[in-house]
Amino acid sequence: MTTADPEQTTSSTVYESAVTQVGAQVELFLEHGILIFFGAGAPAELHDMSVLHAATSAEDGPRPGDTITVGDTSLEILAVGSVVRDNLLNLGHLDLKADGRTDPKLPGDVCVRTGPLPTLAVGDAFRITRPQET
Amino acid sequence: MPEYKSVTVTKGRGGWGGPLTVTPTDDKPLIYSVTGGGIHPVAQRIADLTGGEPFDGFKSSAPFDKIAVAVIDCGGTARVGVYPMKKVLTVDIHATSPSGPLASFITEELFVSGVKAEDVQEA
Repeated sequence: MTTADPEQTTSSTVYESAVTQVGAQVELFLEHGILIFFGAGAPAELHDMSVLHAATSAEDGPRPGDTITVGDTSLEILAVGSVVRDNLLNLGHLDLKADGRTDPKLPGDVCVRTGPLPTLAVGDAFRITRPQET
Repeated sequence: MPEYKSVTVTKGRGGWGGPLTVTPTDDKPLIYSVTGGGIHPVAQRIADLTGGEPFDGFKSSAPFDKIAVAVIDCGGTARVGVYPMKKVLTVDIHATSPSGPLASFITEELFVSGVKAEDVQEA
């Protein structure tokens, strides 16, 4: 399942987690180009719309230029809203939007290229890596 | 039985919706904080002024029909819609407007945003 990461030698992982549950409404949000993540401790009413996960490493939130890996799909992060870091580090929460924007529409958005986002399954990776500064 | 009082919650700078009047009851006593870092100061102030019971949604789960108001720190997509969809009064500390797939559930009667502690006043 895990594929070799070609950036492994030139990037560092700032957030590492694995999917523990995929809510019944996640597919509906995928049709809008949205994937919603919450930490596994999120209240029950958020489970249906969310991909729940359990982080093993949470050093930082994403920045533009970082790579977000969801399942086997790795995407360059184009833009990051102002409340993303707090939400991710406090709650494991992140709204991934495949909207192609370079300025986030909403303060909770993490924007990547337009196009399909993957359907996730339990055990899949949820990871953020940062190119190493040279 | 505690005596409950009402508060008015008005939108803050750049915010949207409201004002909301929040009055806990014996059936709906909970001031439900679904925020990072425990009970948010806005939730605490609502609880202090109304006599409602502060409740951390990330620590334990509450029955929905016990919630007087939900206080969230939502960035605009998920939580802003979930609570209004279930007809729960919702206070977002961030200055969000209706958006996301659940935007149609977010109304001025149910939702107010950009709220700081000083935007919560005795009714």
